[in-house]
Amino acid sequence: MTRLYLATDTSARAVGANRLAEAWANRPGLELVRTSSRGAFFLEPLVERDSPGGRMAWSNVGPDDLPQILAGSGGTPIDRIPFLAQQTRITFANFGVTQPLSLDEYVAHGGFQGMKRAQALSPDAIIGELKTSRLRGRGGAAFPVWTKWQVARETQADRKYVVANADEGDAGTYCDRMLMEGEPFRLIEGMLICARAIGATQGYIYCRQEYPSAARTVRAAVQKAERSGLLILDDKPFHLEVFVGAGSYVCGEETALLESLEGRRGVVRAKPPYPAVSGLYGRPTIVSNVLTFATVPSILARGGDWHASMGTERSKGTIALQIGGRVQHPGLAEVPFGLTLADVLERFGGGMAPGAKLKAVQVGGPLGSLFPSSRLDITICYDAFAEAGAILGHGGIVVFDDETDMVELARHFMAFAADESCGKCTPCRIGTVRGQEILEKVQAGRGRDEDLALLADLGETMKTASLCALGGRAPYPVLTAIEHFPHEFRQGVRG
Amino acid sequence: MTTKGGSDAPARRPEPMGGVPGLAEALAPYRMDRPKEPSRTGTPHVPPNILSCLLAVQEALRCVPPGTIPEIAHSLEATEADVAGVLSYYPDLRTGRPGRHVIRVCTGESCVANHCAKGLAALQDRLKVRVGETTPDGRFTLERVYCVGNCAVGPSLAIDEDVYGRVSDADVARLLASYQ
Repeated sequence: MTRLYLATDTSARAVGANRLAEAWANRPGLELVRTSSRGAFFLEPLVERDSPGGRMAWSNVGPDDLPQILAGSGGTPIDRIPFLAQQTRITFANFGVTQPLSLDEYVAHGGFQGMKRAQALSPDAIIGELKTSRLRGRGGAAFPVWTKWQVARETQADRKYVVANADEGDAGTYCDRMLMEGEPFRLIEGMLICARAIGATQGYIYCRQEYPSAARTVRAAVQKAERSGLLILDDKPFHLEVFVGAGSYVCGEETALLESLEGRRGVVRAKPPYPAVSGLYGRPTIVSNVLTFATVPSILARGGDWHASMGTERSKGTIALQIGGRVQHPGLAEVPFGLTLADVLERFGGGMAPGAKLKAVQVGGPLGSLFPSSRLDITICYDAFAEAGAILGHGGIVVFDDETDMVELARHFMAFAADESCGKCTPCRIGTVRGQEILEKVQAGRGRDEDLALLADLGETMKTASLCALGGRAPYPVLTAIEHFPHEFRQGVRG
Repeated sequence: MTTKGGSDAPARRPEPMGGVPGLAEALAPYRMDRPKEPSRTGTPHVPPNILSCLLAVQEALRCVPPGTIPEIAHSLEATEADVAGVLSYYPDLRTGRPGRHVIRVCTGESCVANHCAKGLAALQDRLKVRVGETTPDGRFTLERVYCVGNCAVGPSLAIDEDVYGRVSDADVARLLASYQ
């Protein structure tokens, strides 16, 4: 019996993994195991088989390649693929190895070690471990995780909640989707540890509607965990539920997410009070990104000091960078903080797609700043990005080529923000629409000098006066486009 | 949408809606006057979840016809304005039925970088509809989606729940043929 491994991840299926599975089904002597994806998506569909020296891999496989794989010819040892070998896989260590819904395999690969340790510690000691680890939230705001937990723990209430923000709306990011589809038990374990630390009895995973496979997989994992008796904290049941949203980007903002979870319009709430004090149904609530929760089990299992030994002075641990756009090797790279953006693109991006020339790189999703080729020496850490007025956000890196029209791209950013604005605060509700109108004027060649000045002024107002990051960050991609590619905007201005 | 009756009207039994098949069944688990099982976790009663209810109605009817708002509001003991507000807020809640298949072209940044605008224009020409419209035979509704998380193998396209990556114009004809 030959066993072959093939990913079940959405992106692997999107490029033909299921076509292989169908073509090779019911072949005597062949067992197909559907695993999570390695995240080296440029190689998908990627097929692996065991060998005495570890897994061997065949990339970009088509149905007709089976004889070659069965003969064992032409494969590459998986640990000699540079894209994977140069990473520090911790949260994504089991990706490509295990089956997403196999609890046994998760446990065999270190799963629930963190929870085991957390159960032996007092809630204060769990929070102490998080403090030592210096973990910051991975969703974008980079707030110290332990502080939130401490506040929620200290706030007295009849009940408390843990909410995973799985509304991964930043275009160019997919690591939460990979986690939910690939190792859902890791997310559940992280949420359980948090629940024990703050004394929560209920949890929700708010998953975006665009991720049906992720929602299905997490639901199945929650059921499995419940049946296996894992959703018990201090002898009391922990009730965990998956809630699917309805296509609103701003629901990734934590207070809008809570409004949506309560079934109302996903409109941003003014802060304070912060959710850790008054969140879901007015109770103390920890809202954290999926990746943040998924990082917690390793910290408990291996210790806060271990986590704090990786990364830069104030950005500890690893970051899951998601590289996309016009590069040769789009995919997920988990690395310690501290490489430069240029390093990352060189080591992992594999250069530009054939015939393409790099024009600009956007980091941190649709609200992230643009970097021209001359500014790629920036260090990947929260502080360097904050100093540059940029954000790491959720770790998305999108590379644009020289065919990209920067005025159209800027208009696209502003139109997106206008579409997705929740409408609660005026700078965002009106500012994004006015910004879009100005850019459309410039695009039509009817702009005037004062229009670009007005856009800059509008941007300042939105940055300082918006209620949340959607309005506060929306000007950045537009203003950095104008800053670095001024000639393209000047062409649309008549003076 | 009408919000006749409004929030100040005293609660009363709803008038029969002239039979929207499936509506009553979809609403049943959300009705505030339904018999409630004791909660396992001892969680106190929480207010109605309008969004969940509307998603359930849409699941049953493929959309939420504006005419059903009064009955939904009554079942949830919410105002019609509350229900209409949630219905109009979320892009995925529809007030009209879509075609048999919904094609969503991803226009997230990674797909934009991969020049998805060309593919979208070609698809509009092929189907002879604009974004937001349904083909006259009711087969396809064409929409834009802001990122399906398939960024590493873009440009991407979703048809119903199936996601396709590295989509070229040549692939599109073959893909569409399998959705009748």
